[in-house]
Amino acid sequence: MTWLLAIPGLPAACFLVFLVSSRRIRERLLPLPAVCSFITLGLSVTALARVWPGGAEEPVWRGVLPFAPLGDHTLELSMALDPVAAAMLIVVTLIAACVQVYSLGYMHRDERKGWYFGVLSLFTSAMLVLVLSDTLLLTFMAWELMGLCSYLLIGFWFEMEAPRKASMKAFLTTKVGDMGFLLALFMIWSTVGSFEYRAVLESLGEWPAAAAAMAGFGLVFAAMGKSAQMPLHVWLPDAMAGPTPASALIHAATMVAAGIYVVARMLPLLALTPWVMEFVLAIGVATALMGGVLACVQHDVKKVLAYSTISQLGFMFIALGAGNAEVALFHLVTHAFFKSLLFLGAGVIIHAAHTQDMRLMGGLGRHMPITAGTFTVGTFALAGLFPFSGFFSKDEIIAVLVHHDHWYAAALALTASFLTAFYVNRLLFRVFSGPEQGELHEGHPSMLASLVVLAGITCVLGFASPTFAEFLGGEGVWPELGVALPSLAVAGAGLVTGWWIYGRRGVVVNTRIYKERFARLYGVLDQRLHFDTFYRQMIVEPFAIVASALATIDRTAIDGVVNGAIGFWKRAAVVAWSFDDAAVDGLVNGLAKIDVSATRLLDDFDNGFVDGIVAGVGHVVTAASAVRRVHTGNVRTYLIGLVSATAVLVWVLTR
Amino acid sequence: MPPILSLMVFLPLLGAVAIAAAPADRPTWPRWIAAATTAVVLGLAVWMFATIEPGGGVQFVERYPWIPLANIEYHLGVDGLSVLLVVLAALLSFLAVLASWRIDKRPRFYFSMILLLAVGTNGVFMALDFVLFYVFWELVLVPMYFLIAVWGGERRSYAAVKFFLYTMLGAVIMLVGILALYLHPLGGTFDMLELADRGFPVQFQWWVFLAFFLGFAVKVPVWPLHTWLPDAHVEAPTAASALLAGILLKMGTYGFMRIALPILPEAWAQWRWFIALLAVISIVYGALVAFAQKDLKKLVAYSSVSHMGFAMLGIAAGTAVGLNGAQAVNISHGFLSAMLFLSVGMVYERAHTRQIAEISGLATKMPVLAGLFAFASFASLGLPGLSGFVGEFLSLLGSWDSTLAPGYTIVAAIGVLLGAAYMLWMVQRVILGEVAPSIAEAPDASPREIATLLPLATLSLAMGVWWLWTLQHFNAYSTGLAKILGG
Repeated sequence: MTWLLAIPGLPAACFLVFLVSSRRIRERLLPLPAVCSFITLGLSVTALARVWPGGAEEPVWRGVLPFAPLGDHTLELSMALDPVAAAMLIVVTLIAACVQVYSLGYMHRDERKGWYFGVLSLFTSAMLVLVLSDTLLLTFMAWELMGLCSYLLIGFWFEMEAPRKASMKAFLTTKVGDMGFLLALFMIWSTVGSFEYRAVLESLGEWPAAAAAMAGFGLVFAAMGKSAQMPLHVWLPDAMAGPTPASALIHAATMVAAGIYVVARMLPLLALTPWVMEFVLAIGVATALMGGVLACVQHDVKKVLAYSTISQLGFMFIALGAGNAEVALFHLVTHAFFKSLLFLGAGVIIHAAHTQDMRLMGGLGRHMPITAGTFTVGTFALAGLFPFSGFFSKDEIIAVLVHHDHWYAAALALTASFLTAFYVNRLLFRVFSGPEQGELHEGHPSMLASLVVLAGITCVLGFASPTFAEFLGGEGVWPELGVALPSLAVAGAGLVTGWWIYGRRGVVVNTRIYKERFARLYGVLDQRLHFDTFYRQMIVEPFAIVASALATIDRTAIDGVVNGAIGFWKRAAVVAWSFDDAAVDGLVNGLAKIDVSATRLLDDFDNGFVDGIVAGVGHVVTAASAVRRVHTGNVRTYLIGLVSATAVLVWVLTR
Repeated sequence: MPPILSLMVFLPLLGAVAIAAAPADRPTWPRWIAAATTAVVLGLAVWMFATIEPGGGVQFVERYPWIPLANIEYHLGVDGLSVLLVVLAALLSFLAVLASWRIDKRPRFYFSMILLLAVGTNGVFMALDFVLFYVFWELVLVPMYFLIAVWGGERRSYAAVKFFLYTMLGAVIMLVGILALYLHPLGGTFDMLELADRGFPVQFQWWVFLAFFLGFAVKVPVWPLHTWLPDAHVEAPTAASALLAGILLKMGTYGFMRIALPILPEAWAQWRWFIALLAVISIVYGALVAFAQKDLKKLVAYSSVSHMGFAMLGIAAGTAVGLNGAQAVNISHGFLSAMLFLSVGMVYERAHTRQIAEISGLATKMPVLAGLFAFASFASLGLPGLSGFVGEFLSLLGSWDSTLAPGYTIVAAIGVLLGAAYMLWMVQRVILGEVAPSIAEAPDASPREIATLLPLATLSLAMGVWWLWTLQHFNAYSTGLAKILGG
């Protein structure tokens, strides 16, 4: 089944073609990435068929490549196809195909769109490598490469200040998390001597407690960066400065889920250390709540969605912390579809409204029925309404919490659900109802097609919930009424509250009275809970101060010693030089006729020193008159002097 | 078998003589002679690389008595440790000639100096006799001095003297170490391979190691002996900067792995915590100072201090993994620092300034040059799939998995983060952004310039994707050395 390599290989080839082509050729090849993504989708479906009906422990295919000899070991790179990977392949290729097709419409006016499509392909390839990877080293490499693609796409409009800053912030913040990945890799290497997933998971019995804790924590920390968990979430809202379809693929559906994916695969290692699991749960709950709260006060459509992504990733962390990888992965899958749907819908909305600010929007529903309909499907899935996919996956998470007696976490997760439903309705009413603003048109057919496909999946995917769990080797269950009803009630309450504030009067409402009544609270929320301020004042600014202070010390203190020494050397050289000059001349002419004074030499030190070397070597073997010719500065004389001096020196020594 | 190694050493010398003898009224002859000579040498190097057996010990040996009185031999050979460095030296010499195509100030002198430098850099990695090694080591100094002092920037005389003074001093101290080994009753030979693991008394080893350490550490350079480097780089002409960072710095780390570690393993065991400490300081300090630079070339210069710290960390680790990492840093930094300096030179030719604040928007104005520059930046900040990651990762992994305290690795890993910070900060200000007036009229990279940078980018990619390609050469030497070191 080596043909599986074509799944990441084809998009990578697309990238290479786009990389080396000129802009004119790129323009002609624009549909190529979309075609490639359909082929990879087809291959992924074939791969899924091979794995079906799943449930098995062993991968159906494994490819190993000897990569690097390290001492007596050989480092290997390997890929494997197991049920988890097969499911993720479908998710990634399907969403990538939708985004590629959608982008053809969305980006067609941009001057550098060829580069955009190229990087999008590279990203897809890296994500697919990550999915198939069977060794943590390859995972890490793909992980970092995705970080690069994310950087390039966030900063796609790099002439502008905001995207440039956001791209750097994203790269560095996730890189902070990557330190955790490195730590985990080091611990795994020194404990197991291999980076293979299976080798690690089979050796769990032999792990010392401290090593397991460090490796587990390292992986969690890495995932916190990549999957935007508090307090490393700060990059994701800013990342919305990139093109909207790229946000859909990378910053909503796939890359941000990579942290969840890796942790889910390594969950047995984490489970060796109870406090690591509790930490994951706590971070997940905090993130889910924080994302929900902050999504309620955003005015930018994309930022609402960004914070909702953070919140939903928090839900996935909750499932992982409760020890259930299948549930986390199912929420990952449903979220990937409905969130990419929402982002792509937001793109159509932004194109139509010419703004991202919800306060300037309204009445889009009547003129853009397809967009409004599909977008509403996405938001209801996000809010967890039956029968949309989000209901099933979120319900499973709450059920897991209840079954494991995490009552606090369950209550807080339900609170986050309430907030989700609230901001969902705020979003819907602000954008689609109310008075119309300007002329509105439905989006391009290529864009709407993607929306319809994703909305269709969102409508039916939930019913696959038990099948999915069994496919991954877990236990498939349908929602229990005891959990489903309260969770639906909470979502309903959130929707009603949202409607009460934003939809009841059918107009754009003024929320100023609330803002004034809770001014201090709103100020904190408006400043995104001051995370960015804290990092700027506590890390970035001190860092810059330390750096420039060190640079000054380098130039003064450390170099000062050297300069002192050079000053001494200069004086010594001049003295030696005048002596040498005098002595040589004295030998030749029999008279002390110094042709250059010591003071002039000080001024003209450079030439003096240069000649000094040549003369110094030369006068050992050549006549004094020849030395005087050297002083003319003729290049050939320098060289011949140098070479012949060396030659004579060698001859003298070997004789 | 033709004497390939000797040909590689002496062809450039022949070329230099030919240039010196060329008529003065033909200003284009020197560069053509230099290009032809370095191209032939590069061809020989590639052929040698293609035919060498990986892990097959010292090959292509040429050994003749030279000064029998003192048992000094003309002894050349290459093995896994040196083969890629020799190829790198040959490649960079050729690219340096290409990059210097427009030199019109005293071209004969200039190109003969480039060729003379090639004699030294080729020879120093092949020499297996201490005296021969020392001759090549010193030979490198002279042309580099002239390149800085004659074609340098405003403060060239200061920078050149500083460079000369520093490295000369280091070399003389190293000479003392060489003589001590020869004069010791257990020594008595200048053969570098034969002296390995002779069991010199520990006290004696300690002192000799100190001498070698000073000689090599100046070259690397290790903090706090690094201050010659920013000055030399900033003042040196572009090609000389590329050669200086790409090849000359590697002589130091090569010296540790070829000489200091195998001959004085017990002294290494005593000194290694100190080496690791200085390595970690170099990594973090270099990165921080690079971050604060306002001059583009100085930023790249300090990045060298930081990156070479990873090689030193691998050397302090002394495990097979760490030594592989140190060698990988050597090669990768050879590609990347040369690429960075060449790119900076090309930007300078267009903007007529190196002040970061005065350059921006390269990506809009000259996408090809900006792309290659950005490639080098990302490769050197350690992006997996490109060469920088290989060395950084293996050095860190090696030091973690050695008997060194884990604190060294942790601080060094933070250095990786700092490395990303200053590189991205540079990319953000210089490559991205709106087009600055300084480059508003500037053209994109010419075919010659692309031909200078593209080979380095390709090799960096090849090394990063296909680790086996380089590691099959490194690993045999690293494994053997790690056994001597007991790691």
